[in-house]
Amino acid sequence: MFLLPKGNPLFENLVTTKLRLPDVTAKLSASSFTGYASFVFNSSTVILVFESGKLVSAFHEEKNGNRRTGLEAMSALTELMVTSDSGTLNVFKLSKDLTMCIHALFQGEILYRAQELKLIDIKTLLEKIRLDQLNGCLRIYTEEHSAMIFYKEGAPLGFFHDGSQDIETSSSESQKIASLPGAKIDLFATQSVEELMSMDLLEVVNIQKLWDTSLALHQSELTKADQARAERGQKEAGFKLAALEEQIKTIVAEHVGKVGRGIVDKEISELGGKDSLLHAEKTAKLLAAIERSARLLISATATKQMMEKVSATITTARSEI
Amino acid sequence: MEQLIELYLQLQPIELIQVILWGIAAAVSFYFSIGNARVWTSISLGFFLIFFSQAYYLNPWAVSYYKISAFHNIIGTVAIMVITHGFLEYYVFCRTFEISGKKVVVYLATMLLLAASGLFLFINPAPSPNTIRNIRMVENAIWVFLAVMNLELIRKIYLAIKDSTISKAFIAFAIVFFCIFLWKGAELYLQVFQWDKDWQDIVAVMADEVSDIDKYPLRVAFSETVKQYAQVASSLTVGGTFLYIYRLLR
Repeated sequence: MFLLPKGNPLFENLVTTKLRLPDVTAKLSASSFTGYASFVFNSSTVILVFESGKLVSAFHEEKNGNRRTGLEAMSALTELMVTSDSGTLNVFKLSKDLTMCIHALFQGEILYRAQELKLIDIKTLLEKIRLDQLNGCLRIYTEEHSAMIFYKEGAPLGFFHDGSQDIETSSSESQKIASLPGAKIDLFATQSVEELMSMDLLEVVNIQKLWDTSLALHQSELTKADQARAERGQKEAGFKLAALEEQIKTIVAEHVGKVGRGIVDKEISELGGKDSLLHAEKTAKLLAAIERSARLLISATATKQMMEKVSATITTARSEI
Repeated sequence: MEQLIELYLQLQPIELIQVILWGIAAAVSFYFSIGNARVWTSISLGFFLIFFSQAYYLNPWAVSYYKISAFHNIIGTVAIMVITHGFLEYYVFCRTFEISGKKVVVYLATMLLLAASGLFLFINPAPSPNTIRNIRMVENAIWVFLAVMNLELIRKIYLAIKDSTISKAFIAFAIVFFCIFLWKGAELYLQVFQWDKDWQDIVAVMADEVSDIDKYPLRVAFSETVKQYAQVASSLTVGGTFLYIYRLLR
């Protein structure tokens, strides 16, 4: 992700999970905000560039390098804000001219892309920028370093490089990077501020609708996930209850003989199946019924021992389910 | 009073022991019926009625009261019916694991049956020795039939619960009912062919009745022996069985 000049920070590290995108854009629009809002998530970053309260560009970049702009970027942002459980919002106020340059960086016309510096005449290029009265941004970079020169009507507005916080007036860092072996340039051009003001993504994109759709979609996915989790839980509980039923049958059969299995089977069926083992009242009924039957088959002492074993088994199993 | 003492002195100790053994059966089964399913209530009540009916004959003048004597024969009949009901319920439990019904129903039904029998005897003329013999014959027939039925029920119960603690007690019950079958069967055999003591007493006072008992001395002697030994064996096995169950289930 490009490092951008911070200008005048209005908000920093706001937790996005507590924010609603329509509210954020409405607030920035209503305050005629100029600058950019940076939404930083684990997997990607979204930059919204505002010019006098108008959303002039939206840019989304993922960690793997995938980039999206405009409506796609807005959709990605709403989805990220709704689904991501972490993320921060930083809002930086910039001058109109610098904002225009930032816009150029994201959505401007690409005049040069990854052009190796040694293959071009940099002086001629800079002269052309001046003569063409270019509005935009020249990015000079190597594998490790990067610097940007912002232009308004062909004149440099300032210099920015990684490691710095804001626009600088000195070109020394840019020149240093340009002299490094393997240095490349990107040149982005954009319209003037006045022309940029004629477009507003907030008018094109229904943020509220986009937000509601994402919210609904996320809610439906959450519901589906909850259902799947509940089903999985039910299935697991079912397996555990079946195992518990088998344990009870084994204990009773050990004490009263093979009829014990039949006794447990019949009593559990009458109480509504193995799920009844989860209910205290039904379990008490089951225990009473097993004891009543066992007393016809074994001694009172053996019945007592058996019932203690069955009760302990049920208590242990229920705490695990 | 002296006459009564003399009559009691004539009592065979074995008769007293038999009654005591039936009493043990009644007491132990009653002990198990406390706080237990209705199955034991029926069995307990049945053995208690047998004890009661057997104990009555310790009375030296028992046979002198015809209606009471007939009533005790009816009690004996009701006793085996109630016991059979108990075994039937045990069999149902072994097959379906179902324990249902209230104990009070067993008590009430038995009391109603006995009250109805008493009323039947009350509203009818005093039974003659011949009538009492007929009632006794009916009693024996029912005992024989139900003893066979109980043997079959016990066989099926044993097969269903043979790996349970109480299963061996059912083998003992089978021996008890086999002895009862021999006892009551031999008595019924003698009654059916009019070789029983009651008939001989009747023949002695009724000139128009005859008996061919003299023609079959061996059969009569054999049946009498079987009856006497089986009766003793029944009370011994039933007492032993319930003491054994007491050991198993306490």
